[in-house]
Amino acid sequence: MTAPALPAELAAQQEPAPRRRQSSSHKTRSALLLLTPFSLLFLGVMIAPIVYALVQSLFRVQRSGLGLGGGETLFVGIENYITALQNKDFIASFGRVFGIGIVQVPLMLLIALVLALLLDAAFAPLRRTFRLIFFLPYAFPAVIAAIMWSFLYQPRIGPFSDWLAAIGLDVNFLSGDMAFFSIGNMMIWGYTGFNMLIIYSALQAVPEELSEAASLDGAGWWQTAWNIKIPAVRPAIILSAVFSIIGTIQLYNDPAILSKVAPGISSTFTPIMAAQQSAAANNYNLAAAQSIILALVAFVLSFGFLKFTQRKGAES
Amino acid sequence: MTSRRFKRFTVATIATLTVAALTGCSAAGSGTSSDAPHGKPVTIEFWGSAIGQEKSVDLFNKAHADVQIKYTQISAGSAGGYEKMLNAVKAGNAPCLGQVSYDTIPSFASAGALEDISKYAKPSKDLFAPAAWGLSSVGGQVYGIPVDVGPMALYYRADLFKQYGIEAPATWKDFATAAATVHTSNPNAYLTTLPLSTYDIGALAWQAGGQWFGTKDNAWQVNINDKPSQQVAQYWQGLVDDQLVVAEPAFDTAWYTSIQDGRVLSFVGAAWAVALLEQNAPGLSGKLAVAKLPQWQEGKSVSGNRGGSDNAVLKGCKNPKEATEAAVWLSTNKDSVNSYIKNTGIFPASVSGQNLPVLAQGSDFFNGQKIYDVFSSAAKNTPADWAWGPTMTTLQPQINDGLKLVGAGQETIPKLLDSAQSSTVADMKAHGLTVTK
Repeated sequence: MTAPALPAELAAQQEPAPRRRQSSSHKTRSALLLLTPFSLLFLGVMIAPIVYALVQSLFRVQRSGLGLGGGETLFVGIENYITALQNKDFIASFGRVFGIGIVQVPLMLLIALVLALLLDAAFAPLRRTFRLIFFLPYAFPAVIAAIMWSFLYQPRIGPFSDWLAAIGLDVNFLSGDMAFFSIGNMMIWGYTGFNMLIIYSALQAVPEELSEAASLDGAGWWQTAWNIKIPAVRPAIILSAVFSIIGTIQLYNDPAILSKVAPGISSTFTPIMAAQQSAAANNYNLAAAQSIILALVAFVLSFGFLKFTQRKGAES
Repeated sequence: MTSRRFKRFTVATIATLTVAALTGCSAAGSGTSSDAPHGKPVTIEFWGSAIGQEKSVDLFNKAHADVQIKYTQISAGSAGGYEKMLNAVKAGNAPCLGQVSYDTIPSFASAGALEDISKYAKPSKDLFAPAAWGLSSVGGQVYGIPVDVGPMALYYRADLFKQYGIEAPATWKDFATAAATVHTSNPNAYLTTLPLSTYDIGALAWQAGGQWFGTKDNAWQVNINDKPSQQVAQYWQGLVDDQLVVAEPAFDTAWYTSIQDGRVLSFVGAAWAVALLEQNAPGLSGKLAVAKLPQWQEGKSVSGNRGGSDNAVLKGCKNPKEATEAAVWLSTNKDSVNSYIKNTGIFPASVSGQNLPVLAQGSDFFNGQKIYDVFSSAAKNTPADWAWGPTMTTLQPQINDGLKLVGAGQETIPKLLDSAQSSTVADMKAHGLTVTK
């Protein structure tokens, strides 16, 4: 610029700059606008109940006399949490879901992985059929499936006990320690297909060239799977594992349905069942505290598992 | 619009929408009964689980112009219905009327979930059996209107009893002898199933003269393991130890099959079991009979009560007077009670209901036997001073779990009652309730 420009030129020179500023804030505006529906729903349906539960867990209802006058709500801080953690049955319920999970999750992931690999190697027309068959148990409504299993497991109505009795074994699938295996079996039946699909989809993303290069080098199917495919789907396996860990800790459906006919399954068998019992006994504050404890345990376990696998991945 | 102004606008919009949504939600939930200032009928919401109850509600609605009942069928109380009602009370949008069993009335009252309808209900007191009225009140305050009672009797396979050469046992001693006879002659047959529900054991303790709960001077009395209850516990534990009873939950698929197959020959049940048997075990038609409960003392006729429920007025009801009157009508009007008997299979709690002609007829399902003669007599001979406690929602699953373990041989009934006693007292004290001896 040599001489002072006319106002019109000044205006013309100034225009590009505001437009550049406008476009980045324009993007922010659009982003905010598009996020609004989701944010509203998220706040209302996810965050608000969590905050409500947190608040509820800090209070207690104190009754007196016969208890007919309702009661007064007192602020008690972490007393509900201490009560929940001192309840031996509540702690034992965590032990029970850990016990089921420690066997069921690895086993289920192993089966899902093997099935995904087999499906990947299968003859094309068979693939679609078996994908559907393996996924069907997951598509089954969970409660219906649990009722069906409760019929199958009961000693005189279902066939399993009779078949075992025919070869001389007296097994009650619903009693004592067998209940753990029965529930684990139901979970493997119900969720293997879902996890298999996750792993199978990840397998599809493995580039063909890698497998071709491997077979050119003389690797058999198993070696290809072990050295190339499985490491390639590691993220999918980890994802499935995290889902399964969270799902097992929050186990409710299967034991709740079986509980009616199973001596080995009490009404507070899992942490969620224990929290439901507290709510049914009108102790919403304790139920809130138990739920928060459960959420924290689930968070620690799943996050811890992720961190652990990340570290292992970094090392290797 | 500048970027900053837009951000403020967005925040303001979100805030307004959220507030609007929340007020909208709470407005929708603020009470479920409308007022009738100018001729619009008062609507009473009613949540119940008894099958066929909607027919009595229809009869009420046809007969009344100023009050209408809106009935919704929900799950049975212990299957989630009570939870639903408690949640609704806590949320402030509970129905006016809810079907609550006698055993759960004190728990609901103690949870502040029921309205005290004493002043509206007192005029109707004499219309109902005294035991039922007593069970609808806690500490002198009335909370619901009785609908039915559950007098207990012994249902048995008359044909198979003849086959095994035994008669309906008159005393519990005879019952044990008969159990031994049956199981010895057929190791696959049992005289009866182990009572697997808290309320079964409660009813038997009731018959024996036990008193698990009571109220005295604004305090609760808790005696779950008193002498009569321990007598009952030891008796049934003896049958379990001798393997003379089998553990199958009553009214389950396996249980109906067992009775039809002759694996189980009898059971101690209440009057309302009739409808369930007719619906779920049609193969038993003509084979069953009903007899007086076995007695602890020769020659007596004492019975216990298992079940029975109120139509209770839940907290927050805007029209308690109309709700009470509607409930009284449902429980005492001739057509309504006839419908209850026919469609729900209950034994009425109202005095007029118990004297209805339909109850004097013979039952085809029971080979023409006038079964309600047995139940009427049982109802009249049920001790009237039994009370339930304020923690049944915790105690019931606890004893149920324990009875399941008893059936599996991992617990004994006497020990179960002892631990129920100590944990209930501790639980009640922890909630601030006063407990005395």
